Amino acid sequence: MATSRSEPAPVASLRKDDRVEPPFRCVLIANRGEIAVRLIRACHELGMEAVAVYSDADASAAHIRLADRAVRLGPSAPAESYLRIDAIVQAALDTGAQAIHPGYGFLAERAAFARAVEGAGLVFVGPPSEAIDALGNKLHARRTARAVGVDAVPGTLEPAVLDRPDQVEAITAQAERIGFPILVKAAAGGGGRGMRRVTTSAELPEALASGSREAESAFGDGSVYLEREVSPARHIEVQLLGDVTGRVIALGERDCSLQRRHQKLVEEAPAPGLTVEDRRRLHELAVRVATAAGLRNAATAEFLRAPDGAFYFLEVNTRLQVEHGVTELVSGLDIVHEQFFLAAGRPLSEAALAAAARAAEPAGHAIEVRLSAEDPGRDFAPTPGLVLRWTMPAGPGVRVDTAISAGDRVPAEYDNLIAKVMVHAGDRDAAIDRLRRALDEVEIAGIQTTLPFHRFVVRHPAFRAADLSTGWVGEHWDGPAEYARAARSAQLAAGLSALDAAMASGGATVPAMPSSTSTRTTGNGRWHTSGLELAQDRWPR
Amino acid sequence: MSAPPRPEPAGASEGDDRVVDPRGVRVSLAPSSASAALAPLVLEPPELPVVSAPPAAGERASGGSAPPGVHAEVEGGPGIVLVDGSPIAAELVPLDLERAILIRDGAGGTRDRVLLLPATPAPGAGRSAVRREVIVGGWRVEVEVEPAARAALRERARRDRGDVGPGGPVEVRAIIPGVVLSVSVSVGDAVTAGQQLLVVEAMKMQNELRAARDGSIERVAVGAGERIEVGDLLLVLA
Repeated sequence: MATSRSEPAPVASLRKDDRVEPPFRCVLIANRGEIAVRLIRACHELGMEAVAVYSDADASAAHIRLADRAVRLGPSAPAESYLRIDAIVQAALDTGAQAIHPGYGFLAERAAFARAVEGAGLVFVGPPSEAIDALGNKLHARRTARAVGVDAVPGTLEPAVLDRPDQVEAITAQAERIGFPILVKAAAGGGGRGMRRVTTSAELPEALASGSREAESAFGDGSVYLEREVSPARHIEVQLLGDVTGRVIALGERDCSLQRRHQKLVEEAPAPGLTVEDRRRLHELAVRVATAAGLRNAATAEFLRAPDGAFYFLEVNTRLQVEHGVTELVSGLDIVHEQFFLAAGRPLSEAALAAAARAAEPAGHAIEVRLSAEDPGRDFAPTPGLVLRWTMPAGPGVRVDTAISAGDRVPAEYDNLIAKVMVHAGDRDAAIDRLRRALDEVEIAGIQTTLPFHRFVVRHPAFRAADLSTGWVGEHWDGPAEYARAARSAQLAAGLSALDAAMASGGATVPAMPSSTSTRTTGNGRWHTSGLELAQDRWPR
Repeated sequence: MSAPPRPEPAGASEGDDRVVDPRGVRVSLAPSSASAALAPLVLEPPELPVVSAPPAAGERASGGSAPPGVHAEVEGGPGIVLVDGSPIAAELVPLDLERAILIRDGAGGTRDRVLLLPATPAPGAGRSAVRREVIVGGWRVEVEVEPAARAALRERARRDRGDVGPGGPVEVRAIIPGVVLSVSVSVGDAVTAGQQLLVVEAMKMQNELRAARDGSIERVAVGAGERIEVGDLLLVLA
C-alpha cells in the first residue's frame, strides 16, 4: 500500500508572467536519481507541485528532499518499486497529481504504463500509448520509415521465421543480399540486448536462435530481424517535439557516437562536421518519420551516419533522453517545460517554433559526459558503494545534473549513471577546453567512476579532431594501462606523504631509545613505546 | 631549504602516525585495488637524515625550525627520492590537508593533482601499516603503506620459506617468535602458491604465511593460540 510521507506544502507560483497558467497543479515523477531531480526542478519552475516516489534504497535520496510529497513504493528491487505500475498510478491518485512524468528508463517506454495512466484519468507526459507501441517495435518503425521514403539501415522488415527449418535457406539468402557483417536485432530491443553480430552465413542460424531467446527473456518478445552493420558509423539523433494537432518539429541533432556496448558515454550538440545543409536534411528526415508515426510530446529519432555521409534511420525513442540537456544548451529551450505544456494540450510554443527555425544553426556547442559508477580499468564493471568525497564543477558554461552528494550510497539495484557534466561554449574547441577544465575540478572518492575515461577522451587528439565512431572506445581506450599509470603515481604520492610526515613528526631525529615513561602523544610516541623500531633494528637487513 | 615553513604535508593526519619511519616506506596496492598486478614501491630518502639534537615538541608546533627536507633539494626542481633504489626527481607539494600536487621531473615530467584521504589501519596488517585511498586523475587507488624495514623483514621471511628446493616436502618453520593467530589449512588440503596457510602475530604485527608453491598439507604442527619460537616447525607442505 502506498503511503504518503508528508503533507503537501503550498507552492508559491514563481511565474512572473501570469498570462501563462501552470500546465498542471501537481505532477508525479515516476523515477529516481538525477532525472527525478531535474524533473522536480522543472515542476517548481513552472509553479507546480512535485510528488516523488521512492524505494527503500532511496528513502533519503535527493529527489525525496526536493519533492513536495514523497510516496514509498516498496523494497529496493525495481520490480517491487519503480516498475510497479499499479502503485505509481495509485500514488498519483492519492496525492491529487494530475499528470505523471516517467523520465527515462523504468516505465518510460512501456505502452502499458501510458495506458494505465491514461485509463486512470491522468495525463502521461510523453507520447500516447499507441505511438509508444508502434515505435517501440523497431520493425514497425522501419516499415513506417520505408513508407515515407526515409532510408532505414539495410535489412529486413519482417520478423525472421525461426520455427521452420526450411526457412533457414531463405533467411540465409536474405542475409547474403544484405551483406555481411550483419546484426541480428530484437524488434522490441534496446541497449544491445538480443543483438548478435554475424560475419558468415554459417553463424546465422545459431545467432538468430540465441538472439531470439535473449530477446524473449528480456522483452517478452522474441522477434528478431536482420540489419547490415554500418561501420565505422556515427550515431546521430534528432530531438523532436510534437503537439496534439499532429505538428512535429526538430530542435536539433546530437552526436552520441562515443559508446560502449551500446551505452552512450559522451554526447554533443551540434554533431561535428555536418554542414547546415546536412542538418536541415537530417532534421527533415526525422520529422517525416515522426509525423507518420503520430508522435506527440518529446521523442528522439536515431540515425547512423555511414562513412560516405548517408544517413540511415535506426529507431525512435519515445521518451525524454538522458542527453536532452545538450540540446537545451544550444537551443535555449527547456525541453521538459515544453513537455509539460504539450502534455496539457497546448500547441507548440512560440519559443519552441523559434528554436526549431534555428535548429540547423544552433548557438555554440555543448558536450555532455556521463559520469557512471563503473570502473573503466576493469571493463566498466559496476562500482556501487559509499561516496566519500563529491565535488562537482561549476563556473561559466557548466551545468551538472546529479542527485548525489558526499555520504550518499550509490545503490547496486539501479542505473550506474551518477552525474551528467555538461558544458556550453562558443564553439567546439572552446567547449572541449571548458570540459577539460570542468572535469579537472571533479573530486570523487569512495567509489571508482568513469571520470578517468572522460579525462582521457577530452584530451585525445582524435576527439578534438571529431574523429568519432561507435568503435572509438575499443580503438583508443586501454583501461588497465591507464590505471597502472595512475596507481604508480598514487604509490609515489602516498610514499612521499608518509616520508614527509615522518620527517615532520621528527621520527628520525630522536635517538632510538624506547621510553616507557614518555608522555609524548604526538607522532613518534607510539612508534617508540611500541618497541617496534628497536625490534626491527635487531634483525639483520 | 630556505623556503618558508610549509603547511603540514597533505594527508599528515591522525592515522598517519603509524608510519613514521623516515628510513623508508613500502607502498603496495591494497588487494581490493589491484586490477593490475603492480609491484610495491620502496621509497627512501637519498641518505638517512640525521640531525644532532631532537627538536622539542614546542619547536615543531611553532614551525620555528623547519625540519630538514626528506629530499635533497635540487636548484629549481623537485627533490630526489630513492624509488626501489634508483634516484627519482619527485616531490609532493601540499595544497591543503588532503590535496597535493605530485611533481615529477626528467623526461616525461608530470604534474598530477592528488587527493589523499585519511589513513586507516590496514586490515590484518598490524599497527605499523596503514591503508589510504589516493585519487589521481579520477582513478581511485587504495594503497598500503608500511615501514620498508618491516616489509623487508616479511620479504625475507617469505624467501626463507621458499628456500627448500621444489619437489620434496617443505618444512615451514617460524622465522620470528610470536603467537599463532589462526591456521587456515588442515592436513590433506591442496593449496596453491600464494594461498594463506596461517597467521602469526609477532611484534604486534600480523604476518600471513603463504604457500611458497603448490602442494598439499602433509602436517600441521601448531594450533591457533600457540606460542612459537624461531625455528619451530609450523607445517609441512608436500
